[in-house]
Amino acid sequence: MDTFAIGNLMRRPEAGAILSLIAVIAFYVIFGGVNLVNLFGAASWVNFAANLGIVALPLGLLMIAGELDISIGAMIPAGSMSIAIVSGYYGMPIVVGMAVALGLGVLVGLVNGLLATRTTVPSLIITLGTLVAMQGIVLAGSVLLTGNASVPLSAPDWAKTIFGQLLGGSYQIIIVWWIALTALFVLIIHYTPWGNWVFAMGGDKESARNAGIPTNKVTITLFVLSAVSASFVGMCGAILFNSAQVSGGMNYIFNAVVSVVVGGVLLTGGFGSVMGIFFGTLTFAIVNQGIYFTDIDRNWSSLIIGVMLLLAVLMNNSFRKLAMTARPKKKPA
Amino acid sequence: MNSATQSVSTGTHGARPGLGVTLGRLARRPEAGSLLGMVAVFLFFALSAGTIFVSPAGFASWLNVAAEIGIVALPIGILMIAGELDLSIGAVIPASSLTLAIISGYYGLPEPIGIAAALAFGLLVGAINGFLVLRTEVPSLIVTIGTMFAVMGLTLGLSVLLTGSTSTNIVPSPFYKALLGQFVGGMFQVTIFWWVGFIIVAAFLLHLSPFGNWVYALGGDKISARNAGIPTERLTITLFMMSGFCAAFVGVGQAMVYQSAQVVGGQSFIFNSIMCVVIGGVLLTGGFGSVAGIVLGTITFSIVNQGIYFTGFDPNLGSVIIGALLLLAVLMNDTFRKMALTYSTKKKS
Amino acid sequence: MTKFSRLAATASTAAIAVCAATAVLAADIFVVGGKPDDPFWSIVKRGAEDAGIVAEAQGGSVTWLGPQNYDNLGVDAAELIRQAIDQGADAIVGPDWVPEAMDPAFQAVVDAGIPLVIYNAGGIEAADRLGAMNYVGSNDYKGGFAGGEYLGNKGKQNGVCLNTLPGAANIEAFCSGFVDGIVSVGGEGSVLPLPATSFGSATAVAQALRAHLLQHPEINAVFAIGNVDANSAVSGIAQAGKAGTVEVCGMNFDESILQNIKDGTQACAIDQQGYHQGYLAVSILNSYVNYGLTVPTREILTGPGIVDSSNVDATMAGVAEGTR
Repeated sequence: MDTFAIGNLMRRPEAGAILSLIAVIAFYVIFGGVNLVNLFGAASWVNFAANLGIVALPLGLLMIAGELDISIGAMIPAGSMSIAIVSGYYGMPIVVGMAVALGLGVLVGLVNGLLATRTTVPSLIITLGTLVAMQGIVLAGSVLLTGNASVPLSAPDWAKTIFGQLLGGSYQIIIVWWIALTALFVLIIHYTPWGNWVFAMGGDKESARNAGIPTNKVTITLFVLSAVSASFVGMCGAILFNSAQVSGGMNYIFNAVVSVVVGGVLLTGGFGSVMGIFFGTLTFAIVNQGIYFTDIDRNWSSLIIGVMLLLAVLMNNSFRKLAMTARPKKKPA
Repeated sequence: MNSATQSVSTGTHGARPGLGVTLGRLARRPEAGSLLGMVAVFLFFALSAGTIFVSPAGFASWLNVAAEIGIVALPIGILMIAGELDLSIGAVIPASSLTLAIISGYYGLPEPIGIAAALAFGLLVGAINGFLVLRTEVPSLIVTIGTMFAVMGLTLGLSVLLTGSTSTNIVPSPFYKALLGQFVGGMFQVTIFWWVGFIIVAAFLLHLSPFGNWVYALGGDKISARNAGIPTERLTITLFMMSGFCAAFVGVGQAMVYQSAQVVGGQSFIFNSIMCVVIGGVLLTGGFGSVAGIVLGTITFSIVNQGIYFTGFDPNLGSVIIGALLLLAVLMNDTFRKMALTYSTKKKS
Repeated sequence: MTKFSRLAATASTAAIAVCAATAVLAADIFVVGGKPDDPFWSIVKRGAEDAGIVAEAQGGSVTWLGPQNYDNLGVDAAELIRQAIDQGADAIVGPDWVPEAMDPAFQAVVDAGIPLVIYNAGGIEAADRLGAMNYVGSNDYKGGFAGGEYLGNKGKQNGVCLNTLPGAANIEAFCSGFVDGIVSVGGEGSVLPLPATSFGSATAVAQALRAHLLQHPEINAVFAIGNVDANSAVSGIAQAGKAGTVEVCGMNFDESILQNIKDGTQACAIDQQGYHQGYLAVSILNSYVNYGLTVPTREILTGPGIVDSSNVDATMAGVAEGTR
């Protein structure tokens, strides 16, 4: 996609996301009495955004390609439990635990990808199946192997430094990973043919295949990416917090989808950008965590999230229409 | 979530069973796969679980669960046939329970007012969903996630504001308890009979009235449906209102059965109802499915969900089995559908 | 982006400095607790806020921080503690739910010289280990234990813990406490974990228990991990035709649970007396920050209390006030 060739910022997919971000902050400042210095100084929402963002990036790419992956909700606890069981309970080297955690991600991603390419079943349904199955496998596995549903883990110093460190006492190192991954994805998606393939698939899979794009390979790769990212987030959480528990991750499903959509990605595929996903995640994190800094009663937070999502969707829609009318020949999606 | 071309072509072929009931052979009907699945699952548990499972007590166990999911799964299935999704039901169920409990329990107003308010709330959320989906042209999955969060927040905020608590109890008068919250024979929830009623209405609407043809046409191809003179906008809003209404009905029933309502709960209905519908052979991309399929899917899901407790399996494995069953059902339905498509027409997507 | 974080870090230190400088007299107390729509935690919150009325009269404030859900309990709570530090708290109240995950965050509170009270979970051991002022509360394990003991003493010697949220640390603690409790009085206990697809559906929970009871006729005691599940359990037992032979105890209660106890369909409810947890923890810190007052009693236990037919009426009066 030649997103960067377009000079006009307003027509870029992330324009809506950036405006949403500004609108949300303005709303909190005006109605919630937020002290901006306090808000920007706090690590909590950046940490929240980083954990969510690493999952949202590949999910967003999947959505650009016209697929969906909700099994991430089970992959996050799967990642943290597998490293905790292997390296914590059985006391094997931490590298083995990491390999198992990430390997499990590859495996589940492959299953999702193969099923999505070999059958005509929508990926929402396929990954719903793997979601429930993985939840069960993680729970049963942990209870059968360790007799417990939460397992402690003590990682060696070098692993903590790379994956589970608190910078400045409160910023999780995963923020650095998030930024690095975002940069990497920007490079791949917007500057290599691979990115064009993803967009083309979301626009029209048949013609993409006819144009010689290895659609199956791309789809499977994307599913593997999203499952591995999810188990990576789980793994980092286990290393940082020295423990893992079975439940958890379900809220990542909706949170990640909402972040991606706020970031301007079309659920029906073919439209979006990595920076949009990045800003969408930031926006969602501020909405979600920023409410702690306001005078607004915490009880209303879900309502605000819902309304914000709907507004963001409306706004992105207008921007997209603007973008499409401005260059009708280039965007068949 | 596959490409647009695919959904359109399968959709038009799939519309056949609705348009003319000419498709005679059982094996090619949408529900064939789900019928086989149900029989297989039932036999499996009947053999491995022993006598209690096949006694009335065993039937009641999964029927009660099936009835509640089933009432929601019907409109969700019809929405999916029309190519839409509704996740907001997960928030509407507790919201309507609380509406009834607050109005008739906390404020002590007569039950009809509470019930009417709860059901009206469901209709309203449905209308908002439908309206937003039409106006914004954003996929309904996203729109209804938005309304789901909004309704959840409203429920919590208003409940705390009005009653100062997150749960409210209600002591229904005997008449309404008998109507909506009784156990027939001490074990069969009266909801089962309501479910049967809903099935009959849904079957009539979808398979015998012109309304049904419209739904299939809408799921097959929205543009040509509109060009053919189908009031697509009114139809979409009606469908969303139906799902809001049914979710509210389940919420009312729960409040009556358990005589209390709380802010949390209901979220499991979101994915559970989708699973039932999919096991029942409905295509997420629209245009294909039947009421009988949805019912069979619901029963299959409930048998698996409850049957585990009658067997000697480790209950920890419950989720694994449910997930595996879902994947299996999906693959089986996929095979059946392909078979149906290749037989009924040479053209393949 | 690095420039941004550096900027943010500087800003945060500045903010803390400013807050610490201005808040010499008035105590801005941050309370980390459960999510706001949790019936139990809304009572703890009420207690904290009632104590906050005094704090506000003295020019301070009480702010409640709770996670959106319990999916990632320890991690989320650790985040909230760090957030309280970031927001310039003069004193912090927090539960030590998952020590491995949360201890570093509590350590940061103590290192920053902020007075800390551990409440609800962790026990005095956690308070001593972390250098907190005191511990206020019951704990999950002891709550379950009390339930097991109560039912066992009533002659119900074969119990099952109905776990609708397997994997969550606090819930697992209820169940292991229950099993140990019933074993301690000579009975035997087991756990029935339900799949995630049943969570939040009263009917699915009731039917699961009913099926389990039919399949295991020897069971005569049930422990539910919350008031919603206790209600479902009562229904499931009635449907299994075992009302009267199988007795239920449950964690926490609301009006319908008390009605059950009054009607005799439920044997007991374990009361963690959450109002006291919030109220006492905040009061201790408020008077310490403002006036240097201390409470020499270490480990202030607020529970578990047991509500059964003998004291149900007094409890109902408290529920009407939103304090129990």
